Parts: sequence; structure tokens; C-alpha cells
Amino acid sequence: MAEYFVARGLPVPRELERSPLTDWRRLSLIAGAILVFYVGLRITDPDLSRANPAYAASVVAQLFQWDTSILTPQNEFETFWDTAEGQMIATIFLGIVATGFSILVAIPLSFLGARNIMSGHPITSGIYVAVRFVFTVIRSIDVLIVVIVCGVALGIGTAAGVIGLAFHNVGVLGKLYSEAIEGIDAGPLEAITTTGANRLQVVWTAVLPQIVNPYISFTIYRLDANVRLAPILGYVGGGGIGILLFQSIQLLNYHAAGLIIFMIVVTVAAMDFASAQIRRRLI
Amino acid sequence: MAAILSIQDLVKVYPGGTRAVDHVSLEIQRGEFVVLIGLSGSGKSSLLRSINRLVEPTSGRIVFDGIDVTQARGADLRRIRRRIGMIFQQFNLVRRSSVLSNTLAGRLGYRPLWRTFVSRPSRDDVAMAFENLGRVGIPDKAFARADALSGGQQQRVGIARALMQRPDLMLADEPVASLDPATSHSVMKYLEEINKKDGITVICSLHFLSLARRYGTRVVALKAGKVAFDGKPADIDERRFKEIYGEDAVEVEIGPERSRAQPMSATEALLQVEADAAAHIVGIPDR
Repeated sequence: MAEYFVARGLPVPRELERSPLTDWRRLSLIAGAILVFYVGLRITDPDLSRANPAYAASVVAQLFQWDTSILTPQNEFETFWDTAEGQMIATIFLGIVATGFSILVAIPLSFLGARNIMSGHPITSGIYVAVRFVFTVIRSIDVLIVVIVCGVALGIGTAAGVIGLAFHNVGVLGKLYSEAIEGIDAGPLEAITTTGANRLQVVWTAVLPQIVNPYISFTIYRLDANVRLAPILGYVGGGGIGILLFQSIQLLNYHAAGLIIFMIVVTVAAMDFASAQIRRRLI
Repeated sequence: MAAILSIQDLVKVYPGGTRAVDHVSLEIQRGEFVVLIGLSGSGKSSLLRSINRLVEPTSGRIVFDGIDVTQARGADLRRIRRRIGMIFQQFNLVRRSSVLSNTLAGRLGYRPLWRTFVSRPSRDDVAMAFENLGRVGIPDKAFARADALSGGQQQRVGIARALMQRPDLMLADEPVASLDPATSHSVMKYLEEINKKDGITVICSLHFLSLARRYGTRVVALKAGKVAFDGKPADIDERRFKEIYGEDAVEVEIGPERSRAQPMSATEALLQVEADAAAHIVGIPDR
């Protein structure tokens, strides 16, 4: 490898002599990773001594022996919306409604959080920094925590789920939307400015056409994620089919739990497929 | 004739300390076709963009038709801007919008805000847009998406958009630098036409001296932000050329203009090259 340099009397670059297999930096990185894993294992101390394979097998078997009675009203007070499939549909719409609320808030905020729109004046630059900081803070609080807090504040139920999920998504969508605006071609903005247009006209004419597609794409991505997340929210007080699953497991009714889990799996897979199809057609 | 544009002791220093425009003073008369030449980084773009305040000048004054551009704010600045058209090297069309809406955008400075929001241009504006697209020879492309057009066609949309402003002054920032020689001539001819027929003053930066000689009535050369030459295109001889572009520079020829865009045969092309080499100071460099 070094012949080229040797033949010309040039110093041989050190990079040529370094072998990836003996490079101490690479080896110490691997050693460090193994050490962290080992120490972590000692600290967390996963204890499998209480595991009961026979019982676990019987539970798994029950998960596949579905209790289909949950698909029909249990008594004269229940309606379709109390059945498992009714709750599943309601949960899907919980994700959709939460996404809708977050879009309504995130779109206007995203313009305030885009550097290229807000730069050029100390006040607008300050707003930009503040909005982006708020987005980051909101995103750093996990959805489940937000929903738990909302459950305390608003009472357990779909209100907590919708508002908690929407709140978190304002942070996520706001950031994605803002970055879409920051990624646009600045040339048209410049050109429209020279026609004597004011700031709003520039945004309307030069920015909007460029962000429509990324906005739709990001929105579908979040809609997909929210509908997948919605069934879990019932577990922490957010309403929807999660409550049914929680109750079934607490009552050791694994026959019902198995059917609910199956319904969630089918919904998530269908959502995944649908969103991939829509996004593929858009791009 | 009164000067339409008066640039007085203009300085632009960028935050990094780059002195892009260094005490430039120019008087530009109504109806002139001024060509700005100079190396990349010599300050042509900064000078052009200072005129409509896309770039904020550090000091100096720019007076457009008796109005101080450098002092203007808000609505006053927008009223000045709508009288100054501008076209760009990268065309700067909204690529996802139609040719028609790109052209109509030239009217924004005259249009009330609600018409922008509801996308309802007035009948007069639409008629004017078709008229201007017709002038640049692409009325049939009005409903195509801007990015479906070739580079030359996109630049013609750029010209149509600027014409919508009914400008008194047209700024062109290297309008043909992204185009092939034949298309360059066709775009330059539209600029020549609006200069001669409509009497719109043109200030155009170019890389090719041959284009400057062919289309300019006056050439201003910038070197390191200062005016290195200001005079008739014919007065740029080899000595002046080397002063502007440096000792090592060799003049490059941008192909001759042709009436038809058809490719020439090899023999024809060879003869053409020889004829050009004889007619111009220096030939094509061999490097």
C-alpha cells in the first residue's frame, strides 16, 4: 500500500499503516461499551428466579383462546361503543382528533419557530428562540407522563388522552414543520421581496407552495404514530381501548386481553400499511 | 437627462469583515444598458442587491428617481421596490407553482392583501400576465409548473414577472450564467428589447465580455469592490481587460449568436470558431 509514497521518497501517511483491527481507539471503544453493559447488568440485577414457565405458558395459551363476548354489549345498559370493537374505533379517532388539535396549534407556531422567517430583527429573533425552546421542552416530556398529568388535572378519560397526546405533538410537529420551512429554497423569497410584496405576501406566495408536501408527509407520519400510541394511553388514564385491556389483565381475564391485543395489532399493522401507501404516493 | 439612479459613496461591509463594495459612486441615466463585469467576489451582486435593499448598505446613499432608497422604511421601501424589477441567476421561481402564478407574483406590490390570500388576481392582472408571457414567447406554458420548464424558459418567466411590476429599472444578477450560449443570447435579447422598446433602464452583471460588448451601452467593471473601469464597451482593450481580470486572464468567447437554435455541422462550427478567433482579441484558452 505504501509503495506509491516510498517510490517517490515521500513520507508514508500514518493512516495507511493503521489497521482497523489493532487501532487502540477502536478497541478501547469496544471495551468501554462492554464494561458499561456489564456494570449495568450488575446494577439492574434482572432476577429470573420468580419466573414460572408453566404458568406463563398457560397464560399465553389463554391469550389465544379469545373471549368473543366482549364484542357484544354485556348487559342492557351497554351500547356498541362499550364493546371492544367500538372502543377500538373510538381509540383510533382519539389519535386522529389529538393530531388534528396539534396541527391547528403547530402550524401557526411553526412560522414563528423558523429561523429564515424570523431572522433580521432582534424581537422576531427572540420569538424564534423562545418558540423553539418551548418545542424542545414539550418534546422532552414523554407522552405517557403528559397523559398521567392530564388525567390528574382533567380526570381519567378521553379528555386526558386527547389533550395529553395533542400537547406532546405540538412539540414534535412544531419542530418538524419549522425545519421544513427552514429547508425551503430562499431564492423565491428574495425574488418575491423585490416585487414590493410585504412579509405576509412573501410567506403566502413563496413559502406556502414549498412546504405543502413536507407538511402533509410529516402530518401523516405523526397521525400514524398517534394512532399506534392511542391504545396504550388507556393504561395511564387516557381513555380508549387501553382501559379495557388494563381491566381484563387486572381481572386475570386473559381470554379477553388476548382478543384486545390482537385487535390492536391488526389496527397498527393496517395503519402502518395505509400511511406507507399514502406517503409513497405523495413523494 | 436626469439620472434615474445615483449611487453615492456606497460601502458594504459584511459581518465577517469582507469589504464587498468599497466607496462606489455611479450616476446611471434613464435608458442606459449598463453591464457590470468583474471577477466572482468583486462585489457585483452586493452592489446590485444594495440598489433594492436586498442587501443593507453599510454607508453611502442610493437615490432612485429622486427618492432616497437608503432611508426608506416599510411601505415606502416596498413602493420603491415595485418600480425596480430584478431577475436572478437561479431564476428564483416558486418551482411548485404554475408559470402564471409566478408571473402574477410580480404584481404583489400593487395588490391588496386579501387578493393574495384568496388567490383571486384581478382580471386586469391576469390579462397583463398573459401579455407579458406572450412578449417572452411562452404564453402556451402559462399553466405548466415552473419546474417543468427549461432554464431559458424559466428565466423568461423571471423577466415576465419583473415586467409585471411595470418597472423603471431592471436589475439582472448574472441572468445567463446558468444557461448555454444560444439560450444566453435569447435571454439577453429580451433584456435588450425591454431596454430599447420600453425604455427601461437595465443594470446587468455578466461574466462574458463578449456579451457585455454586444448588449451594453456602458460597461462598469468592479475590482475588489471598487470601480476599475467605467466607459464604452468598445474601450475595453487587452490592457484594460488585464487590469480588471488580472494578468493571467485570457478572454473566453461565449459562442456567436445564431438566428436558429439548430446545431451546426462540424465544418460549419470549425469555420465559425476560426472566424471568431480572427474577430476577437484573444481566442479560447487551451487550459
